[in-house]
Amino acid sequence: MMNKSSDAIIERFRSIAGNPHEYAKSLQRKGQLVAGYMCTHVPEEILYAAGMIPVRILTSHVSQAMTRSYMHETYCSFSHDCAYQGLAHHYDFLDLIVTSSSCIHMGEAFNVWVRFAGFQGKSFLIPYPHIIETKPAAAFMAESFGEFKPFLEKFVKKSITDGDLERAIKVYNHTRRLLRRLWEFLRRDHPPITGPDVATVTLASQVMDKQECNPLLDQLIQRLEAEPGKGPSGVRLMVSGGACDDLKIFELLEHLDYSASLIFIDSCTATRYFWFEVPEDRPDKLKAIAEGYISRIPCPAKDNVPGTGEKKRFRFIQQFIEEYKPDGVVFLYQRFCSPQPMDVVALKPILDKLGIPSTDFELDTTLPVTQFRTQMEAFLETIKGVVPLG
Amino acid sequence: MAYALKTWNDFKNYQNTCYRNYLYASEGLRVMGSTWSVLAPLKGLGDDVHLMGGEPHAASTAGTFPDESREDIVAAETAGLGFHSCSYLKLFTGEVVRDKIAITDGTIKDGYPKPDLIWTTHLCSQHSKWYQEVSRRLGGIPMYAIDMIGGGNAEKDPKIVNYLSDQIEEGIRWLERVTGREFSDELFIKAARNEIKVLVLWGNICALNRHAPAPLDERRLIALFPPAVVDRTTDETVQLYQGLLKEVKHMVETGQSVVPDQRYRIVYFGIAHTYGHPEMARILRDAGAEIVASVYTFGTCGNFRGIVDGKWSWDPLDPAWVDELDLSTRRKTITELVKIVLGWPTWQGVRSYWALESMARAMITEYKADGLLLAPSRSCETDFRNGYIAMQRIFKSEIPTIEYDSDQVDVRKMDLPGAQRKTELFVHLMEAHKRRSA
Repeated sequence: MMNKSSDAIIERFRSIAGNPHEYAKSLQRKGQLVAGYMCTHVPEEILYAAGMIPVRILTSHVSQAMTRSYMHETYCSFSHDCAYQGLAHHYDFLDLIVTSSSCIHMGEAFNVWVRFAGFQGKSFLIPYPHIIETKPAAAFMAESFGEFKPFLEKFVKKSITDGDLERAIKVYNHTRRLLRRLWEFLRRDHPPITGPDVATVTLASQVMDKQECNPLLDQLIQRLEAEPGKGPSGVRLMVSGGACDDLKIFELLEHLDYSASLIFIDSCTATRYFWFEVPEDRPDKLKAIAEGYISRIPCPAKDNVPGTGEKKRFRFIQQFIEEYKPDGVVFLYQRFCSPQPMDVVALKPILDKLGIPSTDFELDTTLPVTQFRTQMEAFLETIKGVVPLG
Repeated sequence: MAYALKTWNDFKNYQNTCYRNYLYASEGLRVMGSTWSVLAPLKGLGDDVHLMGGEPHAASTAGTFPDESREDIVAAETAGLGFHSCSYLKLFTGEVVRDKIAITDGTIKDGYPKPDLIWTTHLCSQHSKWYQEVSRRLGGIPMYAIDMIGGGNAEKDPKIVNYLSDQIEEGIRWLERVTGREFSDELFIKAARNEIKVLVLWGNICALNRHAPAPLDERRLIALFPPAVVDRTTDETVQLYQGLLKEVKHMVETGQSVVPDQRYRIVYFGIAHTYGHPEMARILRDAGAEIVASVYTFGTCGNFRGIVDGKWSWDPLDPAWVDELDLSTRRKTITELVKIVLGWPTWQGVRSYWALESMARAMITEYKADGLLLAPSRSCETDFRNGYIAMQRIFKSEIPTIEYDSDQVDVRKMDLPGAQRKTELFVHLMEAHKRRSA
């Protein structure tokens, strides 16, 4: 068990992740401008430098029919749910909505907001490469960011200086370093924090003002460093896949009939959000931001090294496997997501070579708990060394 | 009386020859990839470059060998590809998995011919991932994917045009490295002019369907644009399309059509779904209704004026304009190619709802449509299925409109009886509208 103080910090993160709308509204009540963003390729640093707090649009996991009149059913449930947030007017209070050219599905969620949810006059789409590894990608991104910056300056009625950008870069890099340290606890055999709690904190950080987030993260890490590890961790499970902000699924992984612990999540709602840094103290800030975002763990929709067709994400995955030593990998992706399963088919032989079993599971708007539990328990049974609880 | 196209066999022969050359070439280079790529840079490597384009190959295989195609798709899924993934992709990859290939002349060849390189594009979220998978399965074929960031009037955005041009310049250097061949700007420029010319000629041929009766129907249009897709860089293709343009102009002048009974003119948005398309066409034809304009057959490999003063125009470009284009340097040639490719209507509608709606409105008006038929493909991301939902909201009060779901080549994903019922309803609706306005 964790001591009360780290529990209290985690609870703070949990309450924010559980109710991002209220949190964002509270920022606005304090006089902050709040910008929603739909894809983690949006350079939050530029928004932050403009004096806006970027808040990621997350979903509510409530089954709804509303979006089917706007989006085809063959778009993923995450994009439907994000579109729903706009149509249900959960985010009417936002000052701005921003996205970058992302996957087709999330691009459509953005379009729904712009066309049908009243955001036409307060939206911006940042043209962003569909393959981030092309040689000209960085220049193209810097040019796109260079169009976004004056738009923001006009919007907030103030100029964004290099100093503003540098400060924002440093604040965000600090968040990234702290989150990385938090995830590194999970490399231990007996970490002082659970994987689902780390996922919760990471998700909350995506909607938080980093001025509040960073000190909280700092405190949490300090306290966890002083705490003993927890009991037997069971089978170490790594999750790899697409956006998943339904934290219950991660809780469920640790509450099966067999002892298992979540030790890593490769997704844009978890480590892909922060596992990179933007170079600091460069003369050209926008180029530096572009360079940083290119160095990210690529989204499968954008990952194709020209010349070889290599998927750069696989290098990261192999690195994470080496460092976090999972006993099994769960491929978790949204139904109708096209790039994720295209990667899974190529990843499986790599895992087979490494002797790591894997299974895949498609997510829908609401979590099919029984099927997921049955599948995960069957998966755990196949992994050598599983000992039934009780 | 229905007109029989004189140039029909020439088109079929050209397509078959391209595929046969790819299958049986004993020398030269085999190149595969999306034919939505700019193809002329490949011809800078020499005249002995044989092309296999993913989409047209998958579509024509499905049309020629329905049973084989089903086997291919199932084989790809058994090998791990997702049920909801693009069915062109699965059909194509399924052939690699099954180590056999089928082409339009009726040949089924055992032993999949391995390409020397892959030259392709990326726009939707899985477009280039298709060839990553094929490359992986064939042991690692060198592959170059071009990020075709686009949508809307991207061809008029210098930032996007430069980004693409830079990638292609880099790609040409890669082609030299990977093949060990010296790149010929002379051959490249010649191929580029042919490529642009064919795209413009096809636009001119399509535009003749604005006449009544429309000289061509959707079935002919689908069959006549593959040469432009398979390999549009050769002198022979230019001659084919010049010949076709001349013939269709003559049809218009003499009031002839391949389907003379045209009581209702339909604008169609959707991929030519091989399965179910003949059934729908039959229902329409029995009622004297013909698809006279289709964004897919017109705009996948064809160019028009596009966005002019904020509005879409399906007016064709003057073929003579191509002859005047300044293609004196490699960079200038690349830039013109990029502009022409980004200008394809199908590209422009993929990520831009306003462009899609603008082109639909213009097509309905310019082609004097009696009905709008929408058939989004369930497994094609590029088909921009959401756009069709919004289009119903916009157009159903103006013109008879029906949507049914289709799939480009996967029979399992189409509710054929349901689609037939909707198509019958569509015909009744057009009849009712005509009676009302009479």
